[in-house]
Formats: sequence, structure tokens, C-alpha cells
Amino acid sequence: MGATVGTQPGGGPAAAAAVAVRGVRKAFGGRVALDGVSLSVRAGEVYGLLGPNGAGKTTLVRMMVGLVAPDAGTVSVLGAEMPDLAVLGRIGYMTQQAALYADLSVEENVRFFAAINGAESGVEDALRAVALDERRRSVVSTLSGGMRQRCSLACALVHRPRLLLLDEPTVGIDPELRVQFWQHFRDLAADGVSLVVCSHVMDEAERCDRLGLIRAGRLLAEGSARELTERAGVQRLEDAFLRLSADDGGDTGGAQP
Amino acid sequence: MSTRRTLAITRRLLQGFRRDPRTLGLLFGVPIVLLALLGYILRSGNSGPPTGVVNQDCGPLGGQVAAVLLRSTLIDARDMSRADADAGVDDGSLAGYVRLPCDFTAQAQVGRIQPVVRLEGSLPSSSAAVLQATQQGLAAVFAPRNIVLAPQVSYAHGGPQYDQLDYFGPAFVGLIVFFLVFVVTSVSFLRERAQGTLERLMATPVRRGEIVLGYMLGFSIVALAQSALVLLFSLYTLRVHSQGNVALVFLVEGLLAIAAVNLGIFLSMFARTEFQAVQFIPLVIVPQFLLSGIVFPVNTEPRVLHDISNLLPLTYAVYGLRDVMIRGDGLGAGGLGLDLAVVAVFAATMVLAASLTLRRRVA
Repeated sequence: MGATVGTQPGGGPAAAAAVAVRGVRKAFGGRVALDGVSLSVRAGEVYGLLGPNGAGKTTLVRMMVGLVAPDAGTVSVLGAEMPDLAVLGRIGYMTQQAALYADLSVEENVRFFAAINGAESGVEDALRAVALDERRRSVVSTLSGGMRQRCSLACALVHRPRLLLLDEPTVGIDPELRVQFWQHFRDLAADGVSLVVCSHVMDEAERCDRLGLIRAGRLLAEGSARELTERAGVQRLEDAFLRLSADDGGDTGGAQP
Repeated sequence: MSTRRTLAITRRLLQGFRRDPRTLGLLFGVPIVLLALLGYILRSGNSGPPTGVVNQDCGPLGGQVAAVLLRSTLIDARDMSRADADAGVDDGSLAGYVRLPCDFTAQAQVGRIQPVVRLEGSLPSSSAAVLQATQQGLAAVFAPRNIVLAPQVSYAHGGPQYDQLDYFGPAFVGLIVFFLVFVVTSVSFLRERAQGTLERLMATPVRRGEIVLGYMLGFSIVALAQSALVLLFSLYTLRVHSQGNVALVFLVEGLLAIAAVNLGIFLSMFARTEFQAVQFIPLVIVPQFLLSGIVFPVNTEPRVLHDISNLLPLTYAVYGLRDVMIRGDGLGAGGLGLDLAVVAVFAATMVLAASLTLRRRVA
């Protein structure tokens, strides 16, 4: 995994993978959520977890922060096997819903998560990064959905994490803001931060360095958007996803044991 | 007005109930349990206040009066020595005693009998029952003769100027704080879960104990302010009598409030919605209201319920508050120390239980 990395932004020689998932299985009750998933996220890259709703993306991300224990397999993050309390301080996690304290202001929310992570000095930068420094005194319950997403991102960024896990960060936000978000993700990656972005939107996937296509708890393929379309022999990523799904066991979801 | 739309709403509600057995259990199970409990307390337990009968009469008449008192349905009378009776009034296990002195028969021959009635005095209705039973006992023996009945009444605590509010006030001060703090804490902690911030918090290096203690401190500040207000209002506006040190009353209340905060956090772990959290009120608060001696003194309850009452933290808080406010006990008095210790241990147990139930991982 680490050996295949060509250039390392940040310069560490043969740095370990930011995230290494090995043979992970998870069932909730009788329903299999993840079925033998292995993947790795390199340091300083934007890795897209691409798949339909219910494919297992959120479960996989929650495993990376130690909130879900795998039935089998291991998850290592920044060199430590999860769960690991110390490593959590170097991870930023943005949940699918904008999980914020609705009765606090923007700044109070960001300051709270900064204090929890012992990183009060990052508040100003985080507010500026999401362009909310003008609205810092607004109470979250009065904000629009897009502003809440921005505030949520600021809370995930405030302690300058080395790994950022973003679960559908651009759902429900307008195109202009989405472009800003992605610009920001690219800037972070250029600074050596590794990002895992869950999405079911194909055009977002093209902005990732590498993708993991996930469907019904199985990793169908891993690679850059170009590699994946070439392998499937199609032009568009959407078609590649459908082709690879069909190869894996059909469109009807019959792949489950 | 569309019948179809109206019925759609009705059907939607009933469908929701079908998937929520807890709410159904609450609607149909809890009233039966609570009414059964209330019926049991009132029907089987209403034995009247425990009262001592000390017969020291050297003549025969004292024995006759004592026999009538022991049969009385107004009180739960027992024959005992003067020393035991004094001790019982001191520790509050007796509502009072009636002493028939050595010269009782001689007094009757003079035409003026003066039995000694010693009352514990904190619960006016118990004192009244003892006095009434005494009057009836004397009347039953002496009615046919022309004699003046002049019982010598004295109070260990309180006195005739104490009314029902003086008895119920201290207990309600505790109950109000316990109830409100519990509700606010459990709903608020549940919101942390529902809005997703708990999940987010769990993805940081924060420890479970830090979350629980942080909550405890925050709510305890509010709860202590509330306790102070409730107490000041009771003492200075309602003019509830208080014999003891106000600081001690506040100490008992404060410990109770902290216990309620942690009980709220602990129980909110078992609720998924705010609706379910509110359902804990009839389960947690109402039985404690009935059994902790707030309305029905624990020593007039049926035997079986005594043991349950003695397990409830609120029982000890109520004892503690009454000990200080009505009996004027200080920390040196044996009972108050135990009461404080039980409430403190309960609060600590709830902190621990709340931390243990707050799980980071989904196994």
C-alpha cells in the first residue's frame, strides 16, 4: 500500500497509509452492512467513497472513528488500530446531518469543538475558511441549511486534523458553495491532509484523487476516475459504476449471501 | 372538512402506537400499577400513627383506659415502658404516647384526671389522632361519672401552632427540585443524542466520564440556584417553620438535585426520543411520590412497602429535610448523617452508572 505511493506531499519517506481497512465485515442483526472490505487512503489524497444510499459508506466512516466495531478485520488510522483515543484528536469528522448545538451561535459551536480538542487557537482560521466570520454571532437555529453545513465543516476543521472524514458534505448545498467546499478540500490535501469524502454524486467523484466504488457492503473497485472508466471500457464514471456492479453480481442486489 | 383526511390522521396515530410497545405499556400498565399501589397504601396500611401506652397506674382504672386505647382504630397503640416511649418520640418512630400516672385512679376519685400526653408533633394529623383517641378512651371509661378530663399535653417538636404546610413543606421542597431537575436533564441529554452532537463528540478524544461530569456540573449550577429559590420562597414567603440550620437544608436539597441530574442522564440512555424520556416521569417520579413518605408517613405504610420505601433515595432526602426543618436536628443527630450519606451515595452511583451506559462503540 504505502510502497505504491509516488509523491508524498509532506515529504515523509514511505509514510504509512492514512487509513488502512483490511477485510472488514459488519452485520447489524441479520443485515450485512460491510462484506469483506479492504481499502487504503494515502497521505495527502482526496479519497472518494462512492456508492448508492445504504451501500455501507457511513458504517465504514464510523469505523474509521472507532464508533463501530468490525465483526472481523481491522481498521488502522494514522498508524494506529482503531479504536484509539489519542488518534481521534487528529481526525476531523463531519457527520451527514449538520450535528450542531442549535441554541448556540456559530462561533460558540466552533469554540466548543475547539475546546474539546484543545485547539482554541484554530477558531479564527476555521471561521474564515468557511467564510462564516461575518456571521459568527448568528444562532445556528436561525441559519440556512448551507450555512449550517459550513459551520459543521468549521467544527470538523478547527483542530487542524491530519485526516478529515466527510460524510456527504455537499448534500443540500448550492452549486456555488459546493465549488468553494471542493476548492477548500483541494487546498487541505495540498497541505498534506488526507480526506475521505462519501458521496453518491458522480460529478463530485471526478474531483477525487482516487475512488472506492462501494455497493451493498462490497468494494467493487478502487482507482482514479480514469482508471475505473478505462477498466470498464466506458466513457462516463456512472456507466463504469453500473458495469462494475453488474460484473459483481447484477443490479438486483442479489449479491448478498 | 374531509372525513378521509381526518381518518388518515387518526389511522396514522394508531399505526405509530402499534410500533411503540413502551407507550402502550405506559398507557395501559402504569395506571393499574399506580392505582394498585395507592389502594394498597390507603387500605392495608392505614393503621393509624404508632402510639405508645404507658400505664403506671397503681389502681385499676389505668388498665381500663389502656385497654380501650389498645383497641382504638384511630391509632396503632402498643403497651410499653416510659423509657421506650420517650425514646420512640425522640427518634420519631412514635407519633406520641399516653402516660397514665401512678395516682391515676386516685385522681379519678377526686374528680379531675390528668393523663400525660406527649406528642412527637411534626405531623399535625397524627397528633390530632392521638389526642382524639385519648379523649375517646377516657370518655369510654369515665363517661357515666361526673369527672373533669384534663390531659396534660406537651410537644417534643413543633406544637399546636404547626400546620399541615409545616409538615408537607420540607418534603415538597425536595420533591419539586428532584422532579424538575430530573426532567430537564434527561430531555436535554437526549437532545444531544438526537441532534447528532453526541456522535460527533464521541469521535473526539473526550472521555465518557468527562461528558457526564461536565453535564453534572452544568446542571448542578442551575439546580442549586433553583433549590435556593424554592427554599427562600418556602421560608420567607410561605413562612414554613424551620427549626434547624438553613445551610443544612440547602445541603440536603443540593445533594438531592445532583442525584436527580445524574438519574436524568442515566435514564436518558434508555430513551430514543424526548417522548420516551418524558415517559419515565410516571415510572420514576410517581412511585417515589407515593412511597417516600412525602404524603403518607413511611411508618404507617404496610410492612411490605416499608422495605421498598427504605430503598428510595427520596425517602432519605425527605427524612433529612424534616429532621432539620421540623425537629431542628444538626449534623450530630444520628438520623441526618445517614440521610445525607444515602443521598450522596445515590448521587455518586448515578454518576458511575451514567458513565458506564454511555457507550462509544456500537459492538
